[in-house]
Amino acid sequence: MPSHPLWELAVGDSREIVSVGGDTADDAVQRLIDIGFREGQQVTCVMQPGFGAPRVYAIGGATYSLDKQTANIVRIAGEADR
Amino acid sequence: MTDVLLVGAPNSGKSALFNRLTGLKHKVANYPGITIDVGKGHLTSNHQVTLWDFPGTYSLNPVSAEEQVAIASLRSALQEPHDALVAMVLDATRLEKGLTYCLQVARDAAIAGKSFVVFLNMMDLIESDALELDVSGLSAALGVPVYPVSARTGAGVAEAERAIQQAGLVVAPWADTPDALITGTAQQIGERFAPAGDLLVRRQARLDQWLLDTLSGGLTFVIIMTLFFQAIFTWAAPLMDGVEALVIVIGSTVASVMPEGVVADFINDAIFGGLGAFLVFVPLVFILTLIIGALEDSGYLARAALICHRPLSVFGLSGKSFVPLLSGVACAIPAIYATRTLSSMQERLLTYVAIPLMPCSARLPVYALLIAILIPNETALGGLVGWQGLVMSGIYFFGITTALTVAALVGRMSNEDRAGQPFILELPAYRLPVARTIVKTALNRAGHFVQKAGSVIFAVTVVVWILGYFPNGGQDLSSSWLASIGRFIEPVFSPLGLDWRYGVAIIASFLAREVFVGTLGTIFGIETADKDPAPLADQITASGLTVASGAALVVFFTIALQCVSTVALLAREAKSARFAVALMAGYLVLAWLTAFGVYQLAGALLS
Repeated sequence: MPSHPLWELAVGDSREIVSVGGDTADDAVQRLIDIGFREGQQVTCVMQPGFGAPRVYAIGGATYSLDKQTANIVRIAGEADR
Repeated sequence: MTDVLLVGAPNSGKSALFNRLTGLKHKVANYPGITIDVGKGHLTSNHQVTLWDFPGTYSLNPVSAEEQVAIASLRSALQEPHDALVAMVLDATRLEKGLTYCLQVARDAAIAGKSFVVFLNMMDLIESDALELDVSGLSAALGVPVYPVSARTGAGVAEAERAIQQAGLVVAPWADTPDALITGTAQQIGERFAPAGDLLVRRQARLDQWLLDTLSGGLTFVIIMTLFFQAIFTWAAPLMDGVEALVIVIGSTVASVMPEGVVADFINDAIFGGLGAFLVFVPLVFILTLIIGALEDSGYLARAALICHRPLSVFGLSGKSFVPLLSGVACAIPAIYATRTLSSMQERLLTYVAIPLMPCSARLPVYALLIAILIPNETALGGLVGWQGLVMSGIYFFGITTALTVAALVGRMSNEDRAGQPFILELPAYRLPVARTIVKTALNRAGHFVQKAGSVIFAVTVVVWILGYFPNGGQDLSSSWLASIGRFIEPVFSPLGLDWRYGVAIIASFLAREVFVGTLGTIFGIETADKDPAPLADQITASGLTVASGAALVVFFTIALQCVSTVALLAREAKSARFAVALMAGYLVLAWLTAFGVYQLAGALLS
């Protein structure tokens, strides 16, 4: 199944997370897992503010903003738009 | 049971609940990671019970130095031999977020033989939105008592307080659960018991669509920050003037009943001058804390951090540094306090590095004097543009650019993958701030400033007064000890074309930068320089200050950290006097070198 970086998820779309960080396990990966970005969870893109600002994602009833490099640690399933 | 260890994820309302339970003045905010120190208080209903408010973390796996300390302190508290209860605060509206951490702590508490309860907070939102949450089912699944509470409204708090003081508390049944199982179990419990639907997320998203949108969000941001800036710059000014006037009136009244002489002068100028030197900041600290508290509690501060993140990340700073830096344009004192909203010490230190370079309002009178000396009061473009105003803008721009550049350089030097810092920020739900809490916090912060920084500022003021007063009883500043020091250090300033008089004024300006103007006024015999710099400017021009030296002075003042209040507070807040002194020394050297460069350059260009 092809996976995509989370940053590519379009506003309003939800996808299942297929991996977080791959084989690396640094602090960012650890924190993402702690706050709920785990394999099998549904993540929704809530907002994409302009000028490359961090984007807003909803997961497990909470919302977080992640910058591009952090969002791309998370890989999502399916045909993400764009 | 004598101790309650309060733990929970950031934004779970833990500190608000702590405040409710203890009635203690303690920082509460709707912003992740605000609690850095472990708070301590006693139950209002039973002073025998001590409450400990541990910093909010998302799990027992630390990802920063602060979290490491926080988790280590929790673990050592669990190992204490005496009886203690661990109380986990969960946000009922974001249940899944806190459950992994809840089970991790429940397990560690069980291993240590400590009983465990859950405070299910924010139940007011669950009820007002008619959402369903099976509290007894959750309690059964977790194997521990769960008390529904609302730290905001106080609902359920008294019941929970009574319940935890009664016998029959239990150790959580998770002592043997391996790490690998905890996350999965937490996820299952979360999915089963979290309120169905995404009503709250959707409601929050609607506001975010407006507040984070490029156009409407940008506009709202500019309006809010303009009001914020006005509040600290303009609205606090009358209060500051009032405090200053009051101190002067009391001082002169006290001095007037005493026989003239050194004692009366000492009381009037040194004691009350010293008091005024730090009391004048109190309204500023109070108002700024009030507004930042409201911004935090409403949930907007996290959005502002998001908006500012990208532009500031160019300089190695995070979006969360924006509000402190903006405050720094008014005054470094409240700005240093504002950095408390940054969760990592590394981010804070970098912001501390930038703040003293922001063009604070105390520099304004100095610039006004020097501009009056250097720049003719003429206009261009048919009166549209005044040269003096233009130069003032240029000086502000130079200050802000220097602040950001130095932060970028220091950031790069201190950590090579600074640019690689991940940005993960929880966006808390929008809520109306609770006035009682933010007013209490602001009063508390003002009190903290008086206690922690006041004594140093006071002492330095008294010492400088003594140096300026003796040995001739305040008759003539130019023959005082201060002037002797000025002459002694003249070689330092002579390469900038400045004589001892400027050295004296620069030393005196460590009390507050604007003292530079008054001191030069005293030396040049123009006592009204504080009110109107023009006569002093004429006098200084007549005395032969060159344009190159004047420009060097401007540059020196934009960089030098010559403010005892800032240094005193930095030492407190950074928990390192060495850091504060090193920053002061570093900026003095940098200021001198840059001023020397400008002096040489201006001299070469003008000759």
